[in-house]
Amino acid sequence: MDFNTLIAQFISGLSVAMLLFLVASGLTLIFGVLNVLNFAHGSFYLLGTYFTYQLMQMFDNFWVGLLVGVIGAGIVGMVIEVLFLRRIYGRDQEGAFQLLMTYAFILIIDDVVKFIWGPEYKTIPKPDALMGSLNIGTTVVPTYNVFIIVVGLLVVLFAWYFLTKTDKGKMVRASSLDRNMLGLLGTNVPMIMTLTFGVATAMGGLAGILAAPLRTVTPGAGVEVIIDSMIVVVIGGFGNFWGALLGALIIGEVLSFGILWMPELATVLTFIVMIIVLIVKPEGLLSKKMVGRK
Amino acid sequence: MKHKLISLLLILAVLAPLTALYGAETIKIGALYTMTGRGGQYGKDSEVAIKIALDEVNAKGLPGGAKLEVIITDDKNPQYAVSVAKRYITDEKCKFLFGIISTGIGLAVTEVSKEYKVILVGTDHAGTDLTANKFQKYYFRTSNNTFQSMMAGAYYLKDEVKNWKKIAYIGPDYAYGRDQLMELKWGLDKLGVKYEVVGEYWPKLYEPDYTSYITAIIKAAPDILVNGMWGGDTVSFIKQAKPYGLFNKMKYFHVDAGGNYEALAALGADMPEGIIMSARHHNNWPETPANKAYIQKFYKAAGRYPSYAAEGAYVGIHVIAEAIRKVGNANDTEALVKAMEGMKIQTPEDPPGFTSYIDPKTHQIVQVQAIGITVKNDKFPPAKYMLGNFKVYPADKLWPSFEYIDYMTKVKGK
Repeated sequence: MDFNTLIAQFISGLSVAMLLFLVASGLTLIFGVLNVLNFAHGSFYLLGTYFTYQLMQMFDNFWVGLLVGVIGAGIVGMVIEVLFLRRIYGRDQEGAFQLLMTYAFILIIDDVVKFIWGPEYKTIPKPDALMGSLNIGTTVVPTYNVFIIVVGLLVVLFAWYFLTKTDKGKMVRASSLDRNMLGLLGTNVPMIMTLTFGVATAMGGLAGILAAPLRTVTPGAGVEVIIDSMIVVVIGGFGNFWGALLGALIIGEVLSFGILWMPELATVLTFIVMIIVLIVKPEGLLSKKMVGRK
Repeated sequence: MKHKLISLLLILAVLAPLTALYGAETIKIGALYTMTGRGGQYGKDSEVAIKIALDEVNAKGLPGGAKLEVIITDDKNPQYAVSVAKRYITDEKCKFLFGIISTGIGLAVTEVSKEYKVILVGTDHAGTDLTANKFQKYYFRTSNNTFQSMMAGAYYLKDEVKNWKKIAYIGPDYAYGRDQLMELKWGLDKLGVKYEVVGEYWPKLYEPDYTSYITAIIKAAPDILVNGMWGGDTVSFIKQAKPYGLFNKMKYFHVDAGGNYEALAALGADMPEGIIMSARHHNNWPETPANKAYIQKFYKAAGRYPSYAAEGAYVGIHVIAEAIRKVGNANDTEALVKAMEGMKIQTPEDPPGFTSYIDPKTHQIVQVQAIGITVKNDKFPPAKYMLGNFKVYPADKLWPSFEYIDYMTKVKGK
């Protein structure tokens, strides 16, 4: 196996991993801070895409569409958190309510999208500047895939800075550890939860928009990304942001080299990795213990 | 009390002729279609085509002034579809079951049709099994199966593509994807073509990201990549493969569902030129008045051009209506089965001089297959490319193949 093939396959894996990470990071952030397993997270991936599609119909500019799509997905997320999710926090059997409610939103958002934009596939073209391919040595890499990898890394850097260097970021981390204590110290905890939900769903929207020029824009697309994202989150550790990054990189590369060396088993390999992690370190690779709302 | 009784009788006497006038029989057809998610467009398009066909049928008339009525339910999954099919028969008194996008659901519902002795007209799902090893006499299909596509494909590879030996295959990891490779290999072997399979790739259905598959396929360096995906998976794969230059490095061959209009429309200018594709119905072939009229009616009703799925539904309604006309009613199921066996039916996809027919032994509609390559054509927007340079394969060369049915039965069981 020559070196160039390994590099090409590694970069493919990285590109897959970054889109997985962008979806999974929002999912894990919501779980870490709100202790909600948001099955509807893929629906924000879908909504972001359709908002962008709509804006591009009006202004024919990818970047305007991207900005509005991200903000739109975040706003819808916050509205849903305030109007619906907030009502079930702390109830008996909250887990079951979460499951029912977030699953219901998958169906509702999917049908609303179909109702507004129709069932046919839509197209979001790549911006002109990101067409074409780059040659890294003898390896061809599409410019747009490089762009996705760069955006993924920027999100990682920004999140690292925000969560570790800013007061607001520290509050978000604190609220994932002990919400009651944070409330007693005078912090507006509900506001932090709503904003976190909004940021996380905006990240879901961002993933959908970035993926759209490479994928099919269709109702149902959100459901398709959620299972892989769940695997990523399980491997990395529920609620652990850096775990989502590690999990996405592992899954992206295992899948990529699996396809190269044993294509019959490639898809199964990702599940095998998950099972091994669940047996050896059930809380996930980067979680010290199962986190949960106090 | 006596007066009341007389008044009631009088009212009934007045109303009776009206009932006779307006009470013509309504024949119910219970349809199952995927209406949500990625396959939802096929369900929606089939719904539009059903309405067009119903208008035509009811305008032409049925024996005794009967009318056809179609109830459509989202089929969700095999278990749910089975329960709906049973309800259609027992509660709604439907005389026919109809539709179905997914072969998995088709295989489940055909068992209901068999058990209750109610005719099921399959309009979309393409798994060959239903008219081969899983055949039962109450099942009919009004769109082609994957064997017909892949056998035509084998002829195309043998006659039209020169200087190739190595093929790689990528297709969704379930029966539909697996069967296409089995059928193509069987067809090539049958035609005595020598070839070597240098890679098989099995992404899951609806896989969003094919990047790693694409780089692995390029490394495997086949002369021809055969693709067995459908719908949005085709769109994603082509979008992702194009910047890697995959289409310049090998021939691309995708003949069951690659040329589906919805994929051509979604890809627009991103569609590579000169790749080999086909579909179960083409909006630009044949250029007959019947095909043009059908497409215009659809466009008028929906504001968009139809995906291939719509035509199967359109033909299915006409097949049912024709059978009722022959038998004179919709109550004698055995007579309806006989009427459908061997039925000739002019469909939009029939080229001049050919009429589709239902093979009496397998209940599979037998139609010509046209395989083309992508060429610039913006007459069906938003598509920028359509298929052209068609090679047409005669229907009777493609189906039935009892030799293949025996082979399939051996491999997959009854």
